[in-house]
Amino acid sequence: MQGSSGGSSGAIRRSAAILGYAAVPVGVYQRAASGQEILEHELATGVVLDAMAMAGLEKRDVDGVVVAHPGDHTRQCYFHTFLTSHLGIRASSSVIQVLGNGMTGGHAFDVALQQVESGLADCVLSVGVHFETGMPTAEHLDYSIRLTGDVDFQTVFGAVPIAWYAMDAQRYLHEHRMPRATLASIAIKNREHARRNPLAQYRGPLTLDEVLQARPIVEPLGLFEVPGRADGAAALVVVSEDLARESGRDYVRVRSRGFEHEGLHQISDRPGDALDYATLRVAASRALADAGVSLNDIDTFQVYAPCTIVEALGTEALGLFPRGHGAPAAQAGDTRYDGRRPVNTCGGCLSRGHPPEVTPLYDLVEAVTQLLGRAQTRQVQGARLALTACELGKYNAALVHVLEACR
Amino acid sequence: MTRLAQVRMPGARPFAPRVSAFTRPFWDALADGRLVSTRCDDCGTMSFPPRNLCRACWSRQIAWVELASSGRLYSFTRVHVVPRAFAADAPYAIGVVDLDDGGPRLMCRILGEPAASDLDSPVRMLVLHYDDGPLFGARLLESE
Repeated sequence: MQGSSGGSSGAIRRSAAILGYAAVPVGVYQRAASGQEILEHELATGVVLDAMAMAGLEKRDVDGVVVAHPGDHTRQCYFHTFLTSHLGIRASSSVIQVLGNGMTGGHAFDVALQQVESGLADCVLSVGVHFETGMPTAEHLDYSIRLTGDVDFQTVFGAVPIAWYAMDAQRYLHEHRMPRATLASIAIKNREHARRNPLAQYRGPLTLDEVLQARPIVEPLGLFEVPGRADGAAALVVVSEDLARESGRDYVRVRSRGFEHEGLHQISDRPGDALDYATLRVAASRALADAGVSLNDIDTFQVYAPCTIVEALGTEALGLFPRGHGAPAAQAGDTRYDGRRPVNTCGGCLSRGHPPEVTPLYDLVEAVTQLLGRAQTRQVQGARLALTACELGKYNAALVHVLEACR
Repeated sequence: MTRLAQVRMPGARPFAPRVSAFTRPFWDALADGRLVSTRCDDCGTMSFPPRNLCRACWSRQIAWVELASSGRLYSFTRVHVVPRAFAADAPYAIGVVDLDDGGPRLMCRILGEPAASDLDSPVRMLVLHYDDGPLFGARLLESE
């Protein structure tokens, strides 16, 4: 079934497109010098205006606003209606704030997409801002340990969010008898991409020795194998394909989406394989089937991966590489922008940066940048189809989109 | 009935669990040196943590049963950048343990100094006694 004519549910739906995008470089905005603060809506309104200018649309064209819930650390709450007020938008389809852990930005796009595909709206803004650097790390962790575990039976032991990925890393190295350097090489690959991405937070040179010698954060992962603290803001303009076509501009068609939740929070209580991110495989299979394409047709992949291990396991779950070969493939250059399976050409969470609530929006921005041929020195030559994936928990759920260049 | 080894821990629990009328049997048993959880009377599915329903078949007919006091270390990490609440414990090891006799799998503090080579090694479950109440934990057998 073609993505442009109908969904796997059989429901009638029309085709949607991304006509504009904008993002600020990932970095530190909230922790600015006293008296020179940058406010969350100042960044958000800026990216909205830039994205709308790229789309060639005006305020009156906007039917709805979907905002990635900005988390706990922005001063302004009920940010969706506040932002809509700042933008002076009168909306007819919906103004809503969505939340789904690391998947939050993905839902912000997906809900906008559903409004356009269903015919409720012709133009929906998908926008998010994430602020957290104003809060010291240890204080931030007091909050975030409550996110990724059972507060009464797991959080009590101090399981910080990335600790779960670290345990996967330890097991991965053990099962495949792999040296840590092989897994760590994913950080080098991502840094090489980030050095070519003006939106990236970390753009300096990085060596494998530096990665391996860095102080431990959650063993076996050190400083450069986990995400830094970051703020960010990004916006997408999601429109009906008819509107995109009428614009006369290049655009990206949304071919399909796929979702799967495995019914678990972090880990299963049944002994077994914890390294198979099955939800990603299932969600991707649904999206690929709905788009009528195969994995081999995809030219570039954006995979939500806060740590090196997550990119290794994510690429394996997608079927890009056999089990235990994700990290060696990255080390061999297969996942570089000029490799046979380009992955996280933006630099990924490790070097592009990871403002969690909006990371999936940044990943979509990179996918669209690639498909429109605007990725400059990190351009995947001839990229026509892109796949984006985001997750929550420890890939307890995955949300996948397949995007197509229309140039 | 196996009594778990008891370990005295300094101070109060960094992040204390809540105790409901339903979960009280778990914490009372733990204070008494026993690790328990719930099993479905209808389909036999074991659960950890204890649940007031069976997540497999949605039966409300559940029973408290004693768990194995030993298991194997599936994986672990040592956390170096820690929440304020855990500052006094840094760095600390936490891990995933598969209890013997088919599980369940759980996550807890790992005492001693686990190393990468200890994965799949046997562990013994422990009661960690803090000033304000118990938590469960595990320790590698070979480190005892």
